[in-house]
Amino acid sequence: MLSPIDPVDAYLGPQMAQVSPEQRALIAERWSFDASPAVQFSHWLSQLLTGELGWSHIYNQPVSEIISQRFQRSFILLGSAWLLSLLVGFALGVIAGAKEGSLLDRLISGYAYVTASTPAFWLGILAVLLFSVHLGWTPTCCAGPVGVLNQDVSTLTRLHHLALPVITLALLGIATITLHTRARMRVLMNSEIALHAFAQGASRSDIAWRHGLRHASLPALTLAFASLGELFGGSILIEQVFAYPGLGQATVEAGLRSDVPLLLGIALFTALFVSVGNLIADSLHPLIDPRMTQEQP
Amino acid sequence: MRRIFLLGLAATCIAFSSPALSKEQLILAIGGEPEQGFDPLLGWGQYGSPLFQSTLLTRGRDLTPEAGLATAWTLSADRLTWTLTLRDDARFSDGTPLTAEDVAYTFNAAKQAGGRADLSALNKANVLDNTTVELTLSVPRITFLDQLMTLGIVPNASRTHGYREGYGRQPLGSGPYRLIEWQEGEQLIVERNPYFHGPLPTFERLVFLFTTEASTLSAAHAGQLDLAAVPPALATNLPSHMKRIVMESVDNRGILFPMQPVTGELASSGAPIGNNVTADRAIRQAINLALDRSTLVNVALNGFGRPAFGPADGMPWSLDDEAFASPDSERANAILDAAGWKRRNDGLRYKNDQPARFRLTYPASDTTRQLLAQVSAEMVRPLGIEMQPTSRHWDEIQREALHQDAIVFGFGSHSPQEVYYLFHSQHAGFGFYNSGLYSNATVDSHLEAAQAASGAEDANHHWQAAQWDGNTGYGFRGDASWAWMVNLAHVYAANTCLDLGELGVAPHGHGWPITANLLEWRWTCD
Repeated sequence: MLSPIDPVDAYLGPQMAQVSPEQRALIAERWSFDASPAVQFSHWLSQLLTGELGWSHIYNQPVSEIISQRFQRSFILLGSAWLLSLLVGFALGVIAGAKEGSLLDRLISGYAYVTASTPAFWLGILAVLLFSVHLGWTPTCCAGPVGVLNQDVSTLTRLHHLALPVITLALLGIATITLHTRARMRVLMNSEIALHAFAQGASRSDIAWRHGLRHASLPALTLAFASLGELFGGSILIEQVFAYPGLGQATVEAGLRSDVPLLLGIALFTALFVSVGNLIADSLHPLIDPRMTQEQP
Repeated sequence: MRRIFLLGLAATCIAFSSPALSKEQLILAIGGEPEQGFDPLLGWGQYGSPLFQSTLLTRGRDLTPEAGLATAWTLSADRLTWTLTLRDDARFSDGTPLTAEDVAYTFNAAKQAGGRADLSALNKANVLDNTTVELTLSVPRITFLDQLMTLGIVPNASRTHGYREGYGRQPLGSGPYRLIEWQEGEQLIVERNPYFHGPLPTFERLVFLFTTEASTLSAAHAGQLDLAAVPPALATNLPSHMKRIVMESVDNRGILFPMQPVTGELASSGAPIGNNVTADRAIRQAINLALDRSTLVNVALNGFGRPAFGPADGMPWSLDDEAFASPDSERANAILDAAGWKRRNDGLRYKNDQPARFRLTYPASDTTRQLLAQVSAEMVRPLGIEMQPTSRHWDEIQREALHQDAIVFGFGSHSPQEVYYLFHSQHAGFGFYNSGLYSNATVDSHLEAAQAASGAEDANHHWQAAQWDGNTGYGFRGDASWAWMVNLAHVYAANTCLDLGELGVAPHGHGWPITANLLEWRWTCD
């Protein structure tokens, strides 16, 4: 009873006062809300060991099913936002770092500082107001158009619906990746390697292309994979703003209505998701920088 | 050349046929998505149209029961057995006939299900023959009628396409529509059920959007919606192609008074019980008399509502003579004087050194209730009573305030069962039911007589007597256990071509209940 929400009340919603005390007891019994927290937890844990994540009482569906359904939607959103932020962020960072102090560099870093300090949901609301309501370029909600069956929605329409949330979400990631890549590029351009190359007559862009890319990709990749958790958090807000029915929306519902199995399931899943991301980043490092495979003396 | 001409012709046809399509398909954004799916056993269809299923009886506009799947129904003399005769032409949307087996299965399974559908009064449902069902109750309870009017019939589990786990996501019923696709969290697409036994629904296809308030409004302004639920604050600024529809409701707000004096007792939840000021009937009656309800409607509801004088204004089980046109502070002052509440120099009244001061608690998240609390506190101040508007979280209300503070609550239902929960002493101190611990043996006996009545009509007399029987009652002339303030009106924006027929009175909850008369909706343009 640590949660301020009574799960039976949360389940009943507006019907809270129209159900008899006997029925309330039956509901509590059905979902085992009446058992002590220790019993509930050990039951959940033993189920988990057999691979069973439990049953969500607000969706009346197995938790694993909800997560897989919702994640498919979120995956497209997260995946494209992630890829976009990695590619654009890296490119901007390399350009800015290669020509430190130039007008372009100042423009890019200025932009990165501004977006890095902007909250995602606020940016999302502004984007909806401008592009969806005022200009009417993008749809105001949802993953597909109104009144059209899923099978009849074309890929182009899907992309149209994805565009605004993806761009808003990507803007977040771009800034940090740009700033880190730029810093690494700047160090390289001032290093002895670069000096040597200059002496041999290489141009600035030559050095950036031949030496810089590999150097700068290391922090970019590490950061990109490490920021998966951050990206996931951002998607919770973005999905609320754009009414996009992904895992983020389910997380909010589960929290507000005290659906503990679903909330735990999503927490576990997110932890797994972020760990796998970091694992991938770690195993990519030796491929990019062979020095890392050498045994430390 | 000819080919171009044909193409042009085809294009013209398409261009001309698309306006006709808009009549066939209605797009609605009225909320009400059931996350659990469309499973009546878990409570789908308690309000508004169950859409996919049909019910044994239906609620007429005056809320009396009318024939649905059942053509005849009787209640036995001991009030424990309902016998219902079913129509023989009802079919599920897969074309198979609906029989007494399905009805009995639905009721027995819903009793076990532990969802929102409350069948705790049911003992057992039996099949007598193919078209006759018998429902036995464990106690006389006339409000069981509500279950006959709201519980949608599902196919029994032993047949093909029968009820099984996951039914809520692939519902099969005998209602006017069948589910085509449900994109969870986004929209629901339904089409006419070709086997529906009732009149042919006007619209071939309905699309329900489950968007947030903000996206609903932007979609309405973009001209994408035929019907949308609108918050009252924004009801004055509708797009030009839409008209405003105001639906009256019993979705009410009022002040609940703790009825017991402080004795140091605690409720089972640990919350302290009692309040020495509100335990005095004079205080409660004076507040009732002093509230200017029309002003409350204008200030707190933007004018979208009507004054409230009882828990179910306008319902057949509520008295309509409790209302009064304007506040009467003279009488309120006289009542307080007679009860021994004397005014002192600070403007407040005192009785045996007890100041007429108490907290008026409202849930912190609800701005309407905050306004109601603050404005009503100002209205009773001239009487010498100080209500202190206090904002608390729901959790804190339950732990601390529920039985010792006056609280701004909201109720309102299509069933008199709620009156029973609010005022019967049996439910005193149990959660949000009679949380003021109101207890009056005469009222209890009226409420019990209502439950044991032979029919809805008969029961209504007893429900009304509980409010005021000439001597006592829960209403303002009797114990004045509440000071009801306002009934909300639910505002919708509808396409100017959409005729919603005559709307009934909505219960607590803005949105889905408007679909109650879905089959009467018409399109008036062509």
